[in-house]
Amino acid sequence: MLLPASLLRKTLFVLFVLALLSVPFFIRSDYLLTVLIAALYGAYICVCWNLAAGYTGLFSLGHQAFLGLGAYTSTILYVKYKITPWMGMFAGGMIAAVFAASITFICYRYRVKGMFFAVATLAFGFLLQALFMTWDYVNASTGIWLTLQNKPQDFFFTARVPYYWIICVLLVISLLVTYYLERSRLGYYMVAIREDEDVAESLGVNSSQCKVIVMALSAFLTALGGTFYAQFYLYISPACVLSIEPLISMQVGALVGGSGTLFGPVIGWAFFSFLGEFLRGLPLGGTAVGVISRIIWGLSLLIVIIFLPTGMIGLGRKLISLLPFRHQKIATQEIGSGISPSHFTKNEKKED
Amino acid sequence: MLLLELTKLSKSFGGLQAVKQVDLKINQDEIFGLIGPNGSGKTTIFNLISGALQLTGGSIKFKEEEITHLKPHEICKRGIARTFQIARPFADVTVRKNVMIGALNKAPSVSEADRITDEVLSITNLLDKKDANGKNLTIPERRRLELARSLATKPQLLMLDEPMAGLNPTEIEEMSELLRHIRKMGITIFIIEHVLQAIMSLSDRIAVLNYGEKIAESTPEEIGANHKGVEAYLGEEYFIAGS
Repeated sequence: MLLPASLLRKTLFVLFVLALLSVPFFIRSDYLLTVLIAALYGAYICVCWNLAAGYTGLFSLGHQAFLGLGAYTSTILYVKYKITPWMGMFAGGMIAAVFAASITFICYRYRVKGMFFAVATLAFGFLLQALFMTWDYVNASTGIWLTLQNKPQDFFFTARVPYYWIICVLLVISLLVTYYLERSRLGYYMVAIREDEDVAESLGVNSSQCKVIVMALSAFLTALGGTFYAQFYLYISPACVLSIEPLISMQVGALVGGSGTLFGPVIGWAFFSFLGEFLRGLPLGGTAVGVISRIIWGLSLLIVIIFLPTGMIGLGRKLISLLPFRHQKIATQEIGSGISPSHFTKNEKKED
Repeated sequence: MLLLELTKLSKSFGGLQAVKQVDLKINQDEIFGLIGPNGSGKTTIFNLISGALQLTGGSIKFKEEEITHLKPHEICKRGIARTFQIARPFADVTVRKNVMIGALNKAPSVSEADRITDEVLSITNLLDKKDANGKNLTIPERRRLELARSLATKPQLLMLDEPMAGLNPTEIEEMSELLRHIRKMGITIFIIEHVLQAIMSLSDRIAVLNYGEKIAESTPEEIGANHKGVEAYLGEEYFIAGS
């Protein structure tokens, strides 16, 4: 019999988490840890974007705004009001969620869908960036520096390992949220909305409600990532957290890895971050590395969009299905279901 | 018992009156057919009932309750499901998941929806296709999936928009059998169909629509016998093709 898909995924998930958690016990180099933290952070925001864009078809081009709202809220609360970023993080998440929910609702109300929704969110991102560029209260385009210090109660560490644990937890939470959503009523509705919103509505799906919830959730999680960014890099400015840069990372990671899948964004982003590190190791100038990695980003995005709409995950699935032993199994299954279809469904537990 | 009541239903798109003052009453457990040439407003009536379009005049009552300005998902929750003229399966989703989405309409939990899905897949003979993606289905399978998905929402009234389009005679016979079976389950059927032979033998009553107006309403026998009058509007070919 085939190994049930859900069991396979659960095993993979547990192995992945165990591997992640064991890393600090083997790797002592600060450099490597920093690379890994940056990679996990990138994967995390890819997973957040994937919830809205990959699963629900809400192709947001404004997620950098939610990242920025998270980073700025916790930082401003800490710098000006001495509120610990542990709290500020959730305040930022809530603010981002409220903005995301409002934009999504307004877009629904005025029937702004698909590509136009994407453009509307892009406009929101640009607006927010322009606002922060000129707003003195948040130090305008200069940005805000935080001091390097060891204050665990305020989300500051001089060592790398605590940051590693925190981003690990965030990533695992985002994956668990995705995993459970996939199996929930909302998860089914999200996919229905992505596929055909009118049909979804005709089948009893309250699409406006679902879209608002998903965007708010995705923005909330993205904003938590923003706070992490601020605490880890100790500097935020409209040019880094509110620019289109992080958004492009979210997109290439999720799309190249496989949008609308649990592990797609993680695999996609892992590919790009290791590619970046590999290029940095080559004897090239800094500019050349930047240019080459951009070219590879662009090319892989093109290849995926044209030839592999399901991304690396889809490619992997295709390759597995070509393996000879899989063929046999599929063949027996088909013969079996031909004889007595009802028999099969009665005995088969739901796997999807 | 009266299930659906349309009173002076009207819809205009700009200067074009697509539906003009149509009155219709559909009783419980009936199969009610709606025929008429292309562009006569049949699908528009479906879109108005299902909430996909807003009407410009008149009212719609379901189980004696006004549903005129409800949203499509609210109307589905009340117990009216519909299929689309051009089958629109969720393309990148398995047949099973397609039906699950419909089943969640009334099911209190995902596991209950799972059970309904199995039941509906077996009624519509799609069990051996349950793991195929929507886009990989043949035309008859797509038609059955379209039906299965709306059936899974547990409707009292099922509105079918040309469920037999593109099917061959054997498949049409199978689909008719399936529709009779669905009626036996206590589901009222409101059907638009161009395959006259099928709709004449299936329906208890038929209404004829032309240029957005109801020009006749009767039993299939009477419509068939008195078709001279109707023919004037629809053209002779319409009846020759059907009989």
